[in-house]
Amino acid sequence: MDGAPTNNQVNNSIKNIFVLVKQVPDWSVKAGINPDGTIDRAKAKRMMNPFDKFALQAALHTKEKFGGKVSVISMGPPAAEEVLLEAIEHGADDAWLLSDRRLAASDTLATSYALYKTVQYLQPFDLIFCGLQTTDGDTAQVGPSLAERLDIPQISYCEDFKIEDGKLVARRVIEGGYQWVRSQLPALITIANSYHHLEYKTIRGAKLVQDLLRQPEEKSKLVKVVNLDEIKADPILCGLKGSPTIVARTDKVSEIGGNCKIHQGHSADQMVYEITQQTNILEFVK
Amino acid sequence: MSEENTEKKETVQLKEIITPSNKEVIIVAEQVDGIIQNVTFELLGAGRLLADKLGGKLACFLLGNNFTDQGAQLIAKGADKVYVADHVELKDYRALPFKKVIVDWISNFNPPPHIMLMGSTTSGRDLAPRIASYFQTGLTADCTELDIGPYEHVNKMDPDKLGYYPGCLYAIRPSFGESLKARILGPWKNPQMATARPGVMIPLEYDANRKGEIIPVPVNLSAKELQVEIIEIVREINQTVNLGEAEVIVAGGFGVGTAEGFQLIRELAACFENSAVGASRKVVDLGWIPYQHQIGQTGKTVRSKVYIACGISGAIQHRVGMDKSNLIIAINKDPDAPIFKFANQGIVGDVSVVLPEMIKQLKAGKKSSPELALV
Repeated sequence: MDGAPTNNQVNNSIKNIFVLVKQVPDWSVKAGINPDGTIDRAKAKRMMNPFDKFALQAALHTKEKFGGKVSVISMGPPAAEEVLLEAIEHGADDAWLLSDRRLAASDTLATSYALYKTVQYLQPFDLIFCGLQTTDGDTAQVGPSLAERLDIPQISYCEDFKIEDGKLVARRVIEGGYQWVRSQLPALITIANSYHHLEYKTIRGAKLVQDLLRQPEEKSKLVKVVNLDEIKADPILCGLKGSPTIVARTDKVSEIGGNCKIHQGHSADQMVYEITQQTNILEFVK
Repeated sequence: MSEENTEKKETVQLKEIITPSNKEVIIVAEQVDGIIQNVTFELLGAGRLLADKLGGKLACFLLGNNFTDQGAQLIAKGADKVYVADHVELKDYRALPFKKVIVDWISNFNPPPHIMLMGSTTSGRDLAPRIASYFQTGLTADCTELDIGPYEHVNKMDPDKLGYYPGCLYAIRPSFGESLKARILGPWKNPQMATARPGVMIPLEYDANRKGEIIPVPVNLSAKELQVEIIEIVREINQTVNLGEAEVIVAGGFGVGTAEGFQLIRELAACFENSAVGASRKVVDLGWIPYQHQIGQTGKTVRSKVYIACGISGAIQHRVGMDKSNLIIAINKDPDAPIFKFANQGIVGDVSVVLPEMIKQLKAGKKSSPELALV
């Protein structure tokens, strides 16, 4: 195993780093988007949740500076293996996929329970990184909810951090500014999109995944799939049954407009002039 | 919003189930240096409506240090009761001590409160999931509408939940990247929890004659809750990102083309007396402009007098953050961009061509029409 700390002080060394990632639909690709704006999840293109890429980079930075092993964890259908392999291409050491039909229709509370049992199954850990939120749920709830179950502190909206004297020192976004906080370890960190972007795949990682794709047996050693029984999770607390909330109804967002005054096909100066004449915009000019 | 569910009713007679609660609606207040934040007054406005529909009290949970008249302010803005936890360790928001004080207090309620609401701010979104997880109750994020109504659960997958539930919290939020809004509810456990977007709900008028009760809350903290310490807080007040206060917002999206292209956005914003620069999520993700400028579902919500959307397609995530602005002017080269469905004025054209022209004409002067002959 690489990344073992040598020069760092003992008390700054990190052994186990977990990163939680999720596979989400890629909205930017038209495939799988129904005409009414809903998603056909079977057809939609999938990707790693963009926020999780920042979290993965944060975990890789931690390993680079303070040592440790980066394990990537996901919950989802078997296809979610794609994002785990992608994480390995970027330099993660191993990966775990919690996949079980009984997890279907989990809300954030049920999801955090299943992830909690997964983390318990895999512990010990020093740091857990999550993306601030996902692009398909947009709730930002799973990270803090998981931290509560694990009974550890969380630093959400984190955009920078270091390990100092065995403690986590982190900068988090707040309204109109930021704050620096110091926390004991272990801790859970949710990474904001103002953190560093995910760097390129490593040559070693890309090569490794290429080899794994040719050898399913080797792959199953590095990307391990577990179900609810293996992690000793209570199925009653998972999926639809374990979810205290449901989507009772969805409505199309009404289109207010139809009355937008469109300026088209004229020169820019003409169109801008029309706007200045037809609105009160000039009243706000210095 | 409270219209009857139009979905087909099941023929079976559902048993009416009332989850025990004391019908109380609790708002967790947000304060910075003792100043109650607007989102709290907005939540009191929304919470008042919910409490009245339920026939319950509206309470506000205020945590901080060295309070003076803040409790009275909350009453004047709609609260019937204010629970005040005043302690030196609660001066600035931190998840662990705030959670401890709140759950200690709420755990004394038997039956529990019906609803608990917070702002979806960097503290509300940090705190609410911990509390919901502690009580093992449902939580809906970033709501844009809240209401009370009945619900019939007929899903055979979980027969334990079958029944007719009156008085549910309807937590309504834009759903995913889809052009839908979802009504999310969870009547099986109280408190039913939600966070609400700042800038969306309408506060009540200040009424000094309103009566209410101020109730001190005990604070019992141990080393465990204090394992995160705040080293420094920096609020960049003089930064130009004052989206909430600006009369005019000039916002840029992917159609601006490049990070450098944002210079044009800034120049246009500079033409106005009281303006700010906004951005879509995509360009923030690309690093063209810092997160503080982001408007929409995961950024800020604004209600400016003029909103100029430049190269922004107008996806639902952006729209929910700005569609309450008075005058929306959209500039986009794609005539089919969704933004033209709800803007007031639209220019179909390239941002890099239209903006320099707009800057020129605005600079040419207030009301003094340019020497431009109408074609």
